[in-house]
Amino acid sequence: MSDNIEEIQKSIKKYLIIGALLIVFTVITVWLSYVELPTHGLNILVGMIVATFKASLVALIFMHLNHEKSVIYKTLVFTVVLVFVLFVLFYFSKMDPLVFDGFYKLSE
Amino acid sequence: MSATTLDHDHAHAHDHHEPGFLRKYVWSTDHKVIGLQYGLTGLLFLLFGFFLMLLMRWSIAYPGEPVPAVEAIRNIPLIKDLFEAMFGRWLNPDGSLNGELYNMLGAMHGTIMVFFGIVPLGFAGFVNFVMPLQIGTIDMAFPKLNMLSYWFFFVSGVLMMYSFFVGTGPVQTGWTMYSPLATTTTLGVTNVWQHGHTWWLTAMVFNISASLLGSVNVIATIINLRAKGLGWMKMPFFCWAMFVTAFLLLLAFPPLEVAAILQLSDRVFGSSFYLPTGLMEGGKHLDISGGGSPLLYQHLFWFLAHPEVYVLILPAFAILTDVIPCNARRPLWGYKSMVYSVLTLGFLSFLVWAHHMYLTGMGTMMSTYFQITTVLISVPSVILLTCLMISLWGGSIRFNTQMLFASAFLPMFGIGGLTGLPLAFSFIDLAMHDTYYVIGHFHYVVAPGTIFALFAGVYHWFPKFTGRYMNDKLGKLHFWPSLLGMNLIFAPMFIQGMAGFHRRWYDGGKYFENTSGFTHWSTTLTHKVGAFFGLDIPDNMLSLNIVMSVGAFILALGQIPFIINFWFSIKGGKKAENDNPWGATTMEWATPTPPGHGNFLFEPVAHRGPYEYSVPGHPVDFFPQWESEHGKPKPDGSDAPAKTEHAATHH
Amino acid sequence: MDIPYTVHARPDTGLYNAKIGIWLFLASEVMLFGGLFSAYIFLRLGADYPWPVHDLDVTLGFWNTIVLIASSVTVVMAWASVKLRRYGQYKIYMAITVICAGVFMFNKSLEYKAKLKHYAVKLTDGTILTGHMPEDEHHNTIPYRIKFGEITELSLTIPVKKSAITADPVGYVIPHIEGEAPKFKTADGKEITLDDAAFAELSAAAVEKAWAEGKGSATVKLTAVTPLKAAAKPSEIFGYTADSITFRDGTTAKGKLLDDKMTLLVDGIDARGVAQPDKSLAFDHRYLGAWQPAFVANREHHIAEFEENYPTRDKEKSATLQKESLFYKIHSSTPPAADAAHGGDKHGAEAHAPAEGGHGGGHDYPTVVIDKKDITFFSNFTPKLNTYYAIYFTLTGLHGLHVVAGALVLLYFLVFNGRMLREDPEHLANRIEVGGLFWHFVDLVWIFLFPLLYLL
Repeated sequence: MSDNIEEIQKSIKKYLIIGALLIVFTVITVWLSYVELPTHGLNILVGMIVATFKASLVALIFMHLNHEKSVIYKTLVFTVVLVFVLFVLFYFSKMDPLVFDGFYKLSE
Repeated sequence: MSATTLDHDHAHAHDHHEPGFLRKYVWSTDHKVIGLQYGLTGLLFLLFGFFLMLLMRWSIAYPGEPVPAVEAIRNIPLIKDLFEAMFGRWLNPDGSLNGELYNMLGAMHGTIMVFFGIVPLGFAGFVNFVMPLQIGTIDMAFPKLNMLSYWFFFVSGVLMMYSFFVGTGPVQTGWTMYSPLATTTTLGVTNVWQHGHTWWLTAMVFNISASLLGSVNVIATIINLRAKGLGWMKMPFFCWAMFVTAFLLLLAFPPLEVAAILQLSDRVFGSSFYLPTGLMEGGKHLDISGGGSPLLYQHLFWFLAHPEVYVLILPAFAILTDVIPCNARRPLWGYKSMVYSVLTLGFLSFLVWAHHMYLTGMGTMMSTYFQITTVLISVPSVILLTCLMISLWGGSIRFNTQMLFASAFLPMFGIGGLTGLPLAFSFIDLAMHDTYYVIGHFHYVVAPGTIFALFAGVYHWFPKFTGRYMNDKLGKLHFWPSLLGMNLIFAPMFIQGMAGFHRRWYDGGKYFENTSGFTHWSTTLTHKVGAFFGLDIPDNMLSLNIVMSVGAFILALGQIPFIINFWFSIKGGKKAENDNPWGATTMEWATPTPPGHGNFLFEPVAHRGPYEYSVPGHPVDFFPQWESEHGKPKPDGSDAPAKTEHAATHH
Repeated sequence: MDIPYTVHARPDTGLYNAKIGIWLFLASEVMLFGGLFSAYIFLRLGADYPWPVHDLDVTLGFWNTIVLIASSVTVVMAWASVKLRRYGQYKIYMAITVICAGVFMFNKSLEYKAKLKHYAVKLTDGTILTGHMPEDEHHNTIPYRIKFGEITELSLTIPVKKSAITADPVGYVIPHIEGEAPKFKTADGKEITLDDAAFAELSAAAVEKAWAEGKGSATVKLTAVTPLKAAAKPSEIFGYTADSITFRDGTTAKGKLLDDKMTLLVDGIDARGVAQPDKSLAFDHRYLGAWQPAFVANREHHIAEFEENYPTRDKEKSATLQKESLFYKIHSSTPPAADAAHGGDKHGAEAHAPAEGGHGGGHDYPTVVIDKKDITFFSNFTPKLNTYYAIYFTLTGLHGLHVVAGALVLLYFLVFNGRMLREDPEHLANRIEVGGLFWHFVDLVWIFLFPLLYLL
C-alpha cells in the first residue's frame, strides 16, 4: 500500500469499479449455474473459475496484494501451496487413479 | 546484578508505577513472565501425564492386581475425594484397573503429554522467555495477544482436566480420537456435556486458538523486531528452529481445528461427517444419515499431527544448538546447512502425514507418494543431528548437567529416528502398525529425546531466570536414573513390538498366549536376573512388562531430585557470578539477571554471528554477539573505561 | 520503552507489526477454510445420495453476496477516507459496513430458521418425503414421539465393573415419564421416589450383592405404584416392542405401546433413490397414492422437455433432470387434475423453489400418517440430515462467526477510537487496514461458499 495521497485519491475510483465488477460477476455466476453444460462437473469447473477470478480481484485490489512486501508473498505462497496439496491429496484419496472404486460406495 | 535491574526499573518508571502482584505475575504481558507461566504449567502437566503412565504400567505388568497405595490414598481426607472422582470410581471393587480406566489413562496420557506438556514447555515456554532476548528486543510484537494466548491455554487445560470429572469420565479412544469409535462410544449419553469427548474437543479448540496466537506472535516478532545488525543469517539457530516451529503450528493446527469442529458436530448435532452409511453398533443401525467417512477424520487429524511431531522435536534442536556449542566451547558446525535443513524439514513435514494411515486402505497411489516423501524427510533430520554431533568434535567439553542431558539426547534421538525408518514403508508398517514397536520408536524420539533436551534447557537458562545455578550434584542424580529408566522402559518395547504385542492391551498381553508365550534371550536374561534377586519372573515375553515397569519406577524416582533442585535453587542455589555465567555468546546473556521489564540496559547491536567460541587471537574463548570489541559494552550498558575495571571477570 | 514499529513500518521489511500479524493470521485462516473445503471435496466425492444443487434459497444467497461485496467496498473506502483525513466520510462508510454485516446475519438467520422447522423422512425403499410436523395453536411444532402407557415394571441392569454408562434411570427414564415424581416399589416392598439418592442406595446394595455372588451385573426390578405413561423421541430410546420399551441406559419398562405413527404435512416427494420411482412407497394407498398421476405427469413433462432441448445427451447423467423429474414438489392439499399438473406458469417456480423453504401452514399440504416400520431415518434440515447439510451448516456457521467477529471489531473502531482519529489518524488507518484485510478475507471466503453451496 502506498501512503501517497494522490494515489489513494485515484484508487478510490478503482475500488468502486471493482465493486461493480464483482456484482456483475456474481450475476454471471448465478446465470451460469442454471445453464445445462454437458456434465455437471463442467458447471462446477466454470463456476470455480469465475469465483477464483472474483476472489483474485478482492485479494489484489482490496487487499492490496498487487503491491505488497516480499515477506508476505513468501508466507502466502507457502500457504497456498499447502492448501493446494490438501485439496489434491484429498481428491486423490477418493479418486485414486490406480484403484478406481472408493471404499465406501454403497452400490456394491 | 539483580539489584541493578531493580534500580534501573525504578529509575525508568516515569509513566507507570510498579505493577501489583496480579499485573506482574498473573495478568502479565511481559514475555518473560508468560514464558515462565507456560513453562511451569507445562512441567506440571508433564508430571501429571507421567503419573497416568505409571498407573497404566502397573496394570500392564500386574493385570488384575490391586493398585498399590490405593487403600492408603482412600484414607487421606480431601485427596480421597479428588482421587475417587478422577480415578477411584472406575476401579474394580478390589482396586485393580479395568480396560475402560486403562483406555482413559492412555488417551489422556497422550493428549496431555503432547498438547499440554511438551508443546507449552518446549515451544511456548522457551520461545517466550529466550527468543525476544536472543534477538535483542524488549518484548514480543503483540504483548496483549501473548497474555491472551497463555490464558486460552490455561482455559483449555482446565477444560481438559474437567473431563475427568464428568459422567463418562475422560475420553477412552486414544489421543488420536479416531472416528467412528470416538463418536459412537457411549453414544447412549444424551447429555453431551456429561461426555468426556465433548470436553476434549472443546479443550482442543481453545488449545489451538492459544497456539495460533502464540505462533503469530513469534513469527511477527522474529520478522520485525530483530535488533540492529541481526540479519537473518546472524540469527541464533534457536530462533530459526522456533521460527519454523511457529509456522508449523500456524498452518498445521487449523485442519485439526476443522477435524475437532466436525467431530464436535457429529457428537452434538448428530451429523455424519465421519460416519459411513450403514454403521452399526451393538447389532443396531445407528440413528444417523451416514455418507461420511472415517478416512476424512484421519486425513484432517494427521495433517496436523505429523507436523506436530516436528513441533515436538524442533524446540529440542533449538535448545541443543545453544547448549552444545556453549559447553563444547566450539562454534556450531554447519550453521547454514542446519538453517536450510530446518526450512526443508518444515516444508516436507506437511507432505508426509498419511504414513500414519497405510492401514486405512487409502489407495495405492497415496501410499506410494507418502512413502517417497517420508523417506525424503529423514535427510534433513539426519543433517541436523549430524551437525550437532560434529560440533562436539575437538571441543573442550564441560560435562555439567545440561551438557549430560544434551549429549544423551544425541544417541537417544538417533535410536528413535533410525527405528522410524522401517515404518516409512507400507509393507513393513502392515506388520508393525499399532504394536509396541511404534510406541518405542515414538517415545525414543520424544521422551529421552525431546524431554532430555527440555531438561538441558531448564538447567541452561535457570541462572538467567533466577540469577542462581541449579545444583550440579542433584542434577547428576537426576540425569543418571532418568537415562537408565528411559532405556529400561522403551528398549524392550522394540522386542515386544516385533513379537506382535498390540499397543492397547490393558493386561499387557497376559490373555494372548500365542503372542506372549514364547521366549527370547532378553526374557531369559530377565528371568535369571529376577531369580538372582529371589523374584519369580516368568521366562516369556510378559517378563519384559515387568522390566518396563521397573524402569518407569526408576524414572519416577529420578525426577524427585529435579523437583527438589528446581524449587530450592530459586532461593537457595549458588549465585551466578555475573550476567553471563556460562560464557555464552548469544544476546540473552547481555541482559541483567534476571532481566527487568524492557530487558536491555543498552540498545543491543549484533556485531557478529551467534557462535563465536574459541576465536583465535581473542583474549577469552567466546566473543559475544553484542560486543563491538572485547568487553564492550558490558551488560549493564556501560562501556566507559572508568567502569570496566572488572571487564575480565568472565572465565 | 515502547515496542517499535507499531505505527510506522520497519525500513528493511517495509511493514508494521500488525500487518505481519494479520497476514499470518489470515494464512492460518486460509488453512482453516482450506481444511473445510477439502472436507467438502471429500464428502461430495463420497456422497451416496444425489448432492443437493439449487436446494437452498438462491435469491437470498444472491442478495447476501451483494451485501457482502458492498461492505467490502465501503470498508476499503473508509480506510482511504482516513488516509485522506476526510473524517465525516470515514464514519459514514464504516457505519454502512457494520450495517451490511447486520443485514447479512439477519438474512442468514431467516435461512436457518426455515430449516429447523422443515423435516425429511426417509422411507424403507429410499423415498424421501419432505414436509412439516403438525403445529399447535402457538405455531410450535409438535414433535414426533413414541408413546407408551400402562407401564408397571422397570428392570434396571447395573454392571459391577464401573463403565461409562451404567443404569441411570434418573437421567434417562424419569424425564420421559409423564407426571411428577412417580413412586415405585422395590422387591422388598419399600416404596421409593426414584431420585439420585434413592438410586445410589439401591445400586450400591445391588452391586455389593452381585460382587459377592461373583456375577458381572445386578438386575433390579421396580414396580410402579400406579401405572405410568411415557413419551420419547426415537433417538432417546434404544428400542421398543408392543409391550416393552428400552431406554438408552439399558433400563427396560414393561407396558403397552400406544402410538408410534408419525404425522407429516408433505410438501415434496423425492424418489431419486428408488429403482421404480412411480412405484415408490410414497404412493402406497395409505399415503400419497392419489398423487401418483401428478408425479408421473410431471416426470414425463420434464423428460420430454429435456429431450427437446438436449437430444444428444444421456438423461441418466443429468443431475438437473433427475431432480426436476423425480423430486416432485407439492403445493396444495389435493392432487391437481392430471393435465394441470405442469401448468406452464407454475413450472418455473416449481423447478427453482428452494427445497427447504415453504411455510408451515397446515392447510396447504396433504397430511400423511406414516407407520414407524416404514421409516428408516428422519430429521429436520439440520446437520443430521445428510453430509451436505452438515458441511453447509458448518461452513456457513463458521463464516457467520467470522462476520460477527469482524463487524464487532470494525464497530469498536468506529465507536471507541474517536480520540485516536483526532490525535493519531495514521495509527487508526493502520488499524482499519488490518481490520479491513480480515473483512475482505471474509468476503473472499463467501465468494467461494456461495457457488459451492447454493449453485453448483
